[in-house]
Amino acid sequence: MKPRGPAYGLWFDALMALPLALYGGLLLLLVGSLFLRITPESLRIAFQDRALLNAIWLSMWSTMLSTLLSVLVAVPAGYFLSRKHFRGYFLVDTIIDMPIVLPPLVLGLCVLIFFRTALGHYVDRQLIIDLGHLFNTQLVEPGRGLFIFERPGIILVQFVVGGAFAVRVIKAGFDEFEPRYEEIALTLGATRTQALFLVVLPNVMPSLVAGAVISWARIFGLFGPIILVAGTMRNHTEIMPTTIFLETSIGRLDVALVIGAGMILISVVMLTIFKRLGGKGYLW
Amino acid sequence: MVAPAGISIAKLNFSIGQFSLKDVSLDISRGEYFVLTGPNGSGKTILIKLLAGLLRPVSGELWIEGRRITELPPWKRNVGYVPQDGLLFPNYTVAQNIEFGLRVRHLTRQERRRQVDQMAEMLHITPLLDRNIRDLSGGEQQKTALARALVLRPSILLFDEPVSAIDEQTRDPLCLELKRVQRQLGITTIHVSHNSRETALVADRVGFIKSGVLQNEFQSFTGAAPGA
Repeated sequence: MKPRGPAYGLWFDALMALPLALYGGLLLLLVGSLFLRITPESLRIAFQDRALLNAIWLSMWSTMLSTLLSVLVAVPAGYFLSRKHFRGYFLVDTIIDMPIVLPPLVLGLCVLIFFRTALGHYVDRQLIIDLGHLFNTQLVEPGRGLFIFERPGIILVQFVVGGAFAVRVIKAGFDEFEPRYEEIALTLGATRTQALFLVVLPNVMPSLVAGAVISWARIFGLFGPIILVAGTMRNHTEIMPTTIFLETSIGRLDVALVIGAGMILISVVMLTIFKRLGGKGYLW
Repeated sequence: MVAPAGISIAKLNFSIGQFSLKDVSLDISRGEYFVLTGPNGSGKTILIKLLAGLLRPVSGELWIEGRRITELPPWKRNVGYVPQDGLLFPNYTVAQNIEFGLRVRHLTRQERRRQVDQMAEMLHITPLLDRNIRDLSGGEQQKTALARALVLRPSILLFDEPVSAIDEQTRDPLCLELKRVQRQLGITTIHVSHNSRETALVADRVGFIKSGVLQNEFQSFTGAAPGA
């Protein structure tokens, strides 16, 4: 790595590095203490528990699906926000940013309250029945809804939170890519769609990946709003963060530690991928 | 209206912010090399972008080779546009940049390769074809951008200060190259410039634009341009 900044002033640099070392050390100490408490016995118990494995599996696929949905929405939305300035732009931009600044629990509360309105109740309870009638089948068991205390509820909450992060990061990528390249593509005979897929998207790929990973990282540890909307039912709506809560509350701290360590390892892998793909700078 | 061959601009009006292009009318004969000069912010690039279809006029008409193109989107105009900085696509090699227009027209790989090779030979850039565009000099980038536009056999060529971002030693040879290729293919060309030496090297005729108004007096350089 090339050195940046003046080559002189060793004491000054040491003074600047001291807080970094203290903070980094504190983080390592905290994470290390968790790993050091894990025993082979707690690992055995955790991995023999079918419900825990189901929670890990549900965590993985629900976050992947929500991330995919977030990116699918963020690509066109980020592109539009980057390229067009329209009346009410500030308002739309602010609404999209809301999930970034709002406490996740408040968002969860919003989702919960929405499903208590007439429209929300229809979407949660009646829509699936009507769809079932359309196809002459029963899509859910009687008395059960589509979102409340169900797995799609987890995905909805994750998508609501993660989508904003994906839009923000992906829009930043579009902002950095000169729109004149698209204009050139159009003069060469490309349609708007061809210009987007052949010129714009390949050149903003690092920001797409960064958007996906940031969105994933944000929703992977999501806890409060998921408990509110989907609850935490064993083998049904239990995910890794809610498992930690459940296991701690019934005194099985060892198992909670294993899940916590697993979450740390998965997060480190995702963060490494993100940094390797040059995503740095899009978030911080 | 029956428009002549070449380029015909009739009472073109356009406005953006405080700036407006006012009643611009201009006829350029087929095969003519027309240089448009004027101070910064006079509307030269806007006129070029209106012809390329990248901006929409408020009123007026545009004709290319007798075809009315005023409302056509850029991808249906068959106009070759080379901007100041070439704007080669960073994700493609030189050859892939040149073949871009052929690719979106769904030509076969062999046909694309044949046409790219032919164009590279004409512009003496064959050794560059497999290079990444980051490894090209300014002059090489502009030649690649020219090849990318020419390979589509455009009806007209629009150069927006094509040599202004290039070092001085390369400018004159590149200008002469532009003129040679234009003569060889006989393509009607508008070249935006505010460099008098560059203008003298390439122009058949010169127009002057100021504050969005095209002056009516044109200097004729026919036969005077070196290499013409």
